[in-house]
Amino acid sequence: MPSTARTWAAVAAFPLVLGLAACAPAAEAEDTVDYDALSHDELVELATEEGEVSVYAFTSRIATVEEAFEAEYPGIDVVSTDISSTELITRLASEHAAGSATADVAYVSDAPVVVTELLAEGVLESYLPPRVAESLPEEYQAPLVSNRLSTKVLMYNEEAYPDGSPVANLWELTEAAWAGKVVLVDPNVRGDYLDLVTEMSLRGDEMAAAYEEHFGTEIELADGVDDAGLQFVSDLYANDAVLVDDTDTVNAAIGALGQTAPPVGFTSYSDRRDNEDEGWALQVASGVAPSPGIVFPAMLGLTAGVENPAAARLLIDFMMGDDTETGGPGFEPFYVAGDYPTRTDVVAPDDALPLEELAGWVIDAEASAERRDAVADFLLTIQ
Amino acid sequence: MTAITLDRLGKDFGGSTALHEVSLEFPAGSFVVLLGPSGCGKTTTLRMLAGLEEPSRGTISFGDRVVADGDTGASVPAEKRGLGMVFQSYALWPHMSVRTNIDWPLRVAKWSAADRQARVDEVLAMLGITALADRYPAEISGGQQQRVAIARTIASRPQVLLFDEPLSNLDARLRVDTRAELAQVHRATGGTSVYVTHDQVEALALATHIAVMRDGRVEQFGPPAELLERPATAFVAAFLGTPPAVLLTGEAHGGALHRDGVAIAAASGDRPLQAMYRPQDVGLGAEGQVPFEVVECTPLAGRYVVSGMTGRDRVSVVTETPVAAGTWTRLVLPETPAALFGADDARVTA
Amino acid sequence: MRRVTTGLRRPTTWLAAAVLAVLVVLVALPLQGLVAATVQPDSIGSWTDVLASPLSANLFFTPLGNSLVVGLGTGLLASLLGSFLAWVVVMSDVPGRRVIGVLATIPFALPSFAIALAWESVFRNERLGGNPGLLASLGIAVPDVLSWGVVPITLTLVAHYYSLSFVVVAAALSNVGGDLLAAAELTGASRVRIAARIALPVVAPAILSGFLLAFAEGVSNFAVPALLGLPVRFQTLSTRLYGSISTGDTERGYVLSILLVVIAALVLWVGNRFTAGRSFATITGKSSRPRRVTTGAWKWVLFALSAALVTATTIVPGVVLAVSTVLRRTNSFDAGLTLHYWAGESDPSIAQGMRGVLRDPVALDAVVSTVALGVAVALGATLVGLLAAYVVTRLKRAKVVGGSISLLSYVPFLIPGIAFGAAFIAQFGAPIGPLPSLYGTFAILVIAGIAASLPFAFQTSKSALGQVSGDLEEAALISGAGTAQRLRRIVFPLASRGIVSGGILVFVTMVRDLSLVVLLVTPATPLLSVMTYRYASEGFTQHANAITLVIATVSVAATLLARRLQGARQPWSNA
Repeated sequence: MPSTARTWAAVAAFPLVLGLAACAPAAEAEDTVDYDALSHDELVELATEEGEVSVYAFTSRIATVEEAFEAEYPGIDVVSTDISSTELITRLASEHAAGSATADVAYVSDAPVVVTELLAEGVLESYLPPRVAESLPEEYQAPLVSNRLSTKVLMYNEEAYPDGSPVANLWELTEAAWAGKVVLVDPNVRGDYLDLVTEMSLRGDEMAAAYEEHFGTEIELADGVDDAGLQFVSDLYANDAVLVDDTDTVNAAIGALGQTAPPVGFTSYSDRRDNEDEGWALQVASGVAPSPGIVFPAMLGLTAGVENPAAARLLIDFMMGDDTETGGPGFEPFYVAGDYPTRTDVVAPDDALPLEELAGWVIDAEASAERRDAVADFLLTIQ
Repeated sequence: MTAITLDRLGKDFGGSTALHEVSLEFPAGSFVVLLGPSGCGKTTTLRMLAGLEEPSRGTISFGDRVVADGDTGASVPAEKRGLGMVFQSYALWPHMSVRTNIDWPLRVAKWSAADRQARVDEVLAMLGITALADRYPAEISGGQQQRVAIARTIASRPQVLLFDEPLSNLDARLRVDTRAELAQVHRATGGTSVYVTHDQVEALALATHIAVMRDGRVEQFGPPAELLERPATAFVAAFLGTPPAVLLTGEAHGGALHRDGVAIAAASGDRPLQAMYRPQDVGLGAEGQVPFEVVECTPLAGRYVVSGMTGRDRVSVVTETPVAAGTWTRLVLPETPAALFGADDARVTA
Repeated sequence: MRRVTTGLRRPTTWLAAAVLAVLVVLVALPLQGLVAATVQPDSIGSWTDVLASPLSANLFFTPLGNSLVVGLGTGLLASLLGSFLAWVVVMSDVPGRRVIGVLATIPFALPSFAIALAWESVFRNERLGGNPGLLASLGIAVPDVLSWGVVPITLTLVAHYYSLSFVVVAAALSNVGGDLLAAAELTGASRVRIAARIALPVVAPAILSGFLLAFAEGVSNFAVPALLGLPVRFQTLSTRLYGSISTGDTERGYVLSILLVVIAALVLWVGNRFTAGRSFATITGKSSRPRRVTTGAWKWVLFALSAALVTATTIVPGVVLAVSTVLRRTNSFDAGLTLHYWAGESDPSIAQGMRGVLRDPVALDAVVSTVALGVAVALGATLVGLLAAYVVTRLKRAKVVGGSISLLSYVPFLIPGIAFGAAFIAQFGAPIGPLPSLYGTFAILVIAGIAASLPFAFQTSKSALGQVSGDLEEAALISGAGTAQRLRRIVFPLASRGIVSGGILVFVTMVRDLSLVVLLVTPATPLLSVMTYRYASEGFTQHANAITLVIATVSVAATLLARRLQGARQPWSNA
């Protein structure tokens, strides 16, 4: 072959050469078993036959769950992948569209996006382990089961303010004393902060009532502002609220020791566990009217067309926690003060306020999904 | 031995025509010089011979073999034409030593190792650069680089040699020396050479045939003597020769060619004409017909070339005695001009 | 028709077709997928949202202006600094230039946030609370404009990307023969004049390439504007783009990305006009030895300037990064130093029991995988980029083909990694005819990596090839060498310095890339960048920085190795 022809052949073959990689997995045989109705032992039997289960999670703590699960069920191999929420959702959606879904189980946060992008498109399906059906309140059963709740609440520096929260009402933050002293992650950059603002908008009535409580007069909404929640955010922004890119930045800003007049800000209650390590003095501003912030679920779902249906269900069941008080090894990595188990028969960690006392607003994924886009757009206009 | 035939060869670049329908025959073994000012189309012609450009019209043949056909688009690619080319910029491969520069093309042509070794040594000796064999181009002088380029070109014994202004970057002395070597090389290879230059001295020294070109056309093609003796156009007359012919413009009317009111020759018709005289036939003296201001006087081969201005024309004459620059004198013209050219430069009868 | 058939028989035409086909698969299809996603009936509204609604000012136009300022500032300053340093290292006799030359390639291997961290540690003021920087803690009131916003963002990005420009321009300058400069010196022009009017203009294509790369990076970088811009509401297109996608408004993000591509195409076009029609061949058949310029009285001034530059941008951030990995308490010296984050066993009282990085069983696998990925992508991207650049430089008259190849080779920069990843899942996730699905394999990471790295390979190869004079190839052509032979023995060896530089840039970018690979990676293909993310997202800053340091070390080692290999192969030139 003349040398020029050889070159062309090499160039043309290049993509083909790269294609000689993995083989597609063999297709599973059709099965008419009703997995949802199986008992625990039947599930274990079938799962061990299947031999493996793949899970995508938004937290790296899934690695600990993997170890615990494999210890408990030694015939089943867990393959876990952890990536951030946004990429996780994109990945699940893309794989589904391409017909090459690899995951069996998805552990997702950012519920409103999950509801609109994944559930609506049929990418994920729900499974409720029969064992926990009773101990799990209804709101945490649908649209997907949640195993725990996280928070985004107002927190302050307890070294600088040893007598408790420096504010008693959210509306105080819109006043001159707190100008430039409220820190949060830009809601246009992170979904969970957008959920926080959306919830304020959904609870406009409560925000209006709190306004009256603090200022003594009825609230007047500016032009183009639809409710008291949005008015609050608008005033907050106008009061030079500091937007940052990352919760760690918020934590360091609020919590760093040795400050005389530190700012306050919205972050996760569970970040308190790093106080010692990082030299912070984070504490939740409980009792703030109308509410310190939001409480939102992390959810577990099956992917449509799951390849290992029994093992997948077993894993979800495992992650919902066992019958012990603290939820056992499946729940342990998430058993952190400031996060809350959803099951009523699991006791919350005791170094944090009980859920009822926290008085955080529990979000409704579907309502939030509906309102989010309008709120995001509103925020863009008030920047 | 290969004759080269150009038949109605033409080339367009975008909207403009670089070469208009040129038809020439270069006899086998000849040394053809394409001579002319920049932009006349000589380099374009050369590159089409090399296969580096495709003709828009017409054909090129080496012997009986059509190597390029502008009308059908058929063409033998450059790497298959079996010719050699010396570039103006030498085009030595800087990352190869002198020896490798000469050796690699032979390797490409699949010569055996023994043959290659022998031939490389042969051409190195032929051009006197054996001592430079292991040096890199950046380490040798311009003249030496040019020799290497020549050696590389002739090593594969091509039947056609092309030269693209190879001497223009050398100093005057080196130019003369290398010129002689080129002539020797041409004779030694026995092939047909085509040589592009704007220097008419080189052309006259080297060529068996000269094609004078202007604006994409061939003004005249033939042996050097013919072009000097019987130039077909005023342009050729003014271009060739050291010094070139004397050309004077004037108006013909009433049976004579007048210049500034003075009749200088017999001529019919009522038209502008140019009269051509050989420089050695024109003298200087107060009895001359045309005023002349001396600008330069250069010694040449025992005589003197005196250049100056006659009003708007610049002319050079040959005299026995020197004349100082700045002198005002007159040109003494012979009765009959060597030739007459019309306004379109073509030769006319008186 | 006749012209077409003649053209079809030339090898370069086939090459052009092959290159175009590869680029269509790697770049045009994902781009088209991007556009298609935004013109669905339910998503077409995003276009009006972005361009013609009350949101547009804050969503697009203001961030666009900011992005352009940052991008152009980065491009221009990075080119200026990079060219200056390249001149010092390659053409002058300033002492220590060899070391400076090595150090100048390192900033690019460091993650951009490391330099931002270094800036913060000096200039951060009290606006954010927390721990202020050095100046503020000494009592100096640092104005907001120095701590946050366009000034620190641009300067930080410049400090990072000038080394990009340096690598490209230095490769080109080393090919400039001494004759060019000698001729200028004989005119009596001053050395500054010669440098500014002769030496640098001759390598204008390299400077342009460096500018285009720095501009594109400046415009698409997310981490630095997020860190230093958000606190003063300074938004760029990249933060808006990322924000849209991560809050579920994916189509809007894609629209912003498409607009970014259009703007970059404009900049590319304008940039290419600057160098159109001129020859920048410096590697000609008439070689001359490179010359050094004697700097005389300015020697030590130049040394001080260059040394200060590389110290501030290489040594300081490197040290800051290294020190941050041994601090017991994140970003603070209060609790002392420890090697725990590197080599410690699991200790529940530190970082929730996370083991040290070197004890993580995945770590070694990840190093191997990452290096393998980097090498594979570097080789692949360099090959495609080189062939594309060859076609573009040799087929100057085929403007449409050349222009398409140029554009397709430039835009991957501006398509967000997450969009690329999604597009590749869509294209390669399912089996194509007889070919199996590539999803989850190493191969798909390589293909996606090649697509995303093309701009580096293409730009550097283009300026390198432009330096090789056409008559060198013509001489080989006349000697009977076919296309492949000419490329292999003449063109590529002469352009190798630039080509290898491009390969290094690709390697360095690939080993630290996250956004592209995160969608395509599986446990079977562990990567260092994903490990970093994993640690950082759980708040284990020291671990994350430790892995980042490992990535940077791998990059630097690869760079030095490549330079060493390259230097050994060019006995005919200096430098």
